Amino acid sequence: MRRAAALVLLLLTVIVLRRAMDGDTAADLRGTALAFGFALIAATLAGELFERLRLPRISGYLLFGLACGPFAADLISRTMASDLQIINGLAIALIAFIAGLEINFVRIRSRLGAILAVGGAAVLVPFMVLEMVLFLAWPWLPIAPDATGLTRLGMTLVLTTVLVSFSPTVTIAVITESRTRGPLSELVLSVVVLADLALILGFTLVMQFMRSVNGATGDAGVGLLPFLVWDIFGSFAFGAIIGAAFALYLRIVGRELTLVLLAVCVLMSAAGEVLHFEPLLSALAAGLVVENIAPPQGDAMKHAVERSALPVLVIFFVAAGASIHVDALMELGGIAVGLALLRAFSIWMGVGLGVARAGLSHTGASMAWMGLVSQAGVTLGLTIIVASEFPGWGTRVQTLVVAMIALHELAGPVLFRMALARAGEVGGMDRPGGLTGSARPA
Amino acid sequence: MTAPFDPYDDRSEIGRDVLDAHVATTPIRPARLIDVLGRTRAALGLKPLTAPALLFVPIGAILGPAGAGWLGLDLLGRLYPAMSTALAALGIFVGLGMSLDQRSERRLLAAASLEAVVTIALVSGAFVYVLTAWEVRPDIGLLPLALALGLCASATAAGVAPADAPLADRLAVRIADLDDVLPIAIGGVVLALAATSAPLEVLRLAAGNVALGLSVAVAGWLLFDRAHGEAERAVFVIGVVALLGGGAAYLGVSPLLSGMVAGLFWKYAPGRADTIIRDDLRRLQHPLVVLLLIFAGASAQPSTLALWLLGPYVLVRLAGKLAGGWLVSRVMFELSPGDIGSHLLAPGVIGLAFALAFHHASGTTASLAVLTAVAAGTLIGEVLAAFALVGPGRR
Repeated sequence: MRRAAALVLLLLTVIVLRRAMDGDTAADLRGTALAFGFALIAATLAGELFERLRLPRISGYLLFGLACGPFAADLISRTMASDLQIINGLAIALIAFIAGLEINFVRIRSRLGAILAVGGAAVLVPFMVLEMVLFLAWPWLPIAPDATGLTRLGMTLVLTTVLVSFSPTVTIAVITESRTRGPLSELVLSVVVLADLALILGFTLVMQFMRSVNGATGDAGVGLLPFLVWDIFGSFAFGAIIGAAFALYLRIVGRELTLVLLAVCVLMSAAGEVLHFEPLLSALAAGLVVENIAPPQGDAMKHAVERSALPVLVIFFVAAGASIHVDALMELGGIAVGLALLRAFSIWMGVGLGVARAGLSHTGASMAWMGLVSQAGVTLGLTIIVASEFPGWGTRVQTLVVAMIALHELAGPVLFRMALARAGEVGGMDRPGGLTGSARPA
Repeated sequence: MTAPFDPYDDRSEIGRDVLDAHVATTPIRPARLIDVLGRTRAALGLKPLTAPALLFVPIGAILGPAGAGWLGLDLLGRLYPAMSTALAALGIFVGLGMSLDQRSERRLLAAASLEAVVTIALVSGAFVYVLTAWEVRPDIGLLPLALALGLCASATAAGVAPADAPLADRLAVRIADLDDVLPIAIGGVVLALAATSAPLEVLRLAAGNVALGLSVAVAGWLLFDRAHGEAERAVFVIGVVALLGGGAAYLGVSPLLSGMVAGLFWKYAPGRADTIIRDDLRRLQHPLVVLLLIFAGASAQPSTLALWLLGPYVLVRLAGKLAGGWLVSRVMFELSPGDIGSHLLAPGVIGLAFALAFHHASGTTASLAVLTAVAAGTLIGEVLAAFALVGPGRR
């Protein structure tokens, strides 16, 4: 009751403030801290409400951002939403670092074959299904209906690669905020990370194909491949060095971990911009090194992660929610829903095939497809590249994909949380040695 | 006559820091000084001899656009949300530090406010006279400009009086601690005056400033006690402080005032809200203050107007503080003018904080000159205070 009263009071306060400065664009530029404070508290309360409804907290944050964002109530203006995204680099690095901490090679070594089988099928089946459908239905899609032959093939390959990609960020965030641990979460996390690595490489190849179809000289493509190799392997190497340094700090000093953890994430995010490393991969590698080489002792690391993760996750997903392009969704809603359903269906088929081939028997494995529905940053990044390189049809691809991201951002976390709950893995991080989620009653 | 004085009492603005007493008796060596700056509440400008302003304001000036340019205008603009949050946090500490339910404290607050009023009146009056005589035409009203300088001048950094210090010293320190209250309250009106000259609009903005502090304080009070765990409570605390600072910045009013109102509310509201916010904010206080000082130094831009303001600012502030101290000694017989005067010289961080808020609210060349003059005046004031406090026969 007190929380509801506080939420109402905050809402009223922000509504009054926004009304008082209505139309003052200079005030909007000064509104970052206001949006930050409001989002932090109100979205935390909204997330808690969602948790009571057995939905993921991050869906609460996203919906709160959507409801209060510039496309709905406009309590968080477009400028404020954009300013809140300043935290994105830190958030992605932190989320990936936490994910790395959850992947223990000793634990997953025995399941590596299964992970590759499920991951391979989860990528290949949707890729084939979507490519076939898109190629056949291309004349009816509002992208470049007149394209034929190799041009149409190139366009559909690019679009399919983007559509198949997953969201490591959302996957890791759902695992972190629901404190999940168990075979299903490990399977989904490993599949998402490996599959996105493969898709990024695949994207390079199809973009090169599209360039050659368009008659480009190919210089850009030749340059892009080493760039992506640097991007991927360089990121891992950089992250591993940072992880080793952090592990050393944990062993020798071990104080002010929250501050140091955030500083490490800021470093990886900033270095990513300067050195063209991928913060997601660097931070994942850093977490992997810490967990597998110098696993933290005691609760200090756990507390540091808890303290730093909550505010960062809240702001990150509120900003994402406030930036969901409702206009794109309205424009291409029907096609986006159709493609989203087809994608989900093909992922379900692929995972089913992969699970059968790997002979996985635990109850969670068959639900792994529910963890692969989310799409966010990686997909958006790929579509931005397409739009900037092919301004005509690429821009229309971007609109369609942005509409689909909006759907997947909202539905994906809910589905994954449901799967984790059914597999009995929610709260597994808090159980001592809690790795037997599938053996627990749902 | 007065309540037993405990320097570590929760009523003091910033609260307990056991290193302070040790620092007071330690000989000053450069390495030791740097260590002290990083670890004690001297980082809040409360200890004249080891005032962090002397270190961090010049660092900011060197890094800022007028210096090496590493902290560019764009970066400073991006940092302002953190700055408004820091200003609100300072206001909260001032609010939490008041104890209006004790008669002795009310008497000290009255004395501190009297001293502050004298300084504000002298400095503001002097600047109205000087600027008119020099025929300076600032791009902001003369009255808000002069009042802003008066308010910046009136704030004092309180030192630390050990439990065994003479009563006069302990009272003087407490007066220096409380003399920020009235300037912060008046500051709400001055910032509104800087934004508009219409009386009704000024009233509306000032009332909005207080209402913002109250509404966010009530929301925080409803949340703090019921947080599920430490992480969620920290989220609520950070969110509330950001709302206080951000809401005020958004409206163009004083984050210090909204923070002070909220701090005062939590102090007297039932429950543990005051303890929770004090404990959680204490972890952030040093980084926030260091950031504020660097930001102030970096924002300063030398100009002819700033140079013209600096001399009178330092001199009239000194005169105002000594006159205010003398007047206080007339109404508080436990104190002699010499006891209190030297304790009122160190400007500390609140004056700079107000100059920052004023510049952010008005954004004019004149307000930038005020900020620059106050930053330079703070450095000079800290040096003067150091000599006044450690000279022969003192401490």
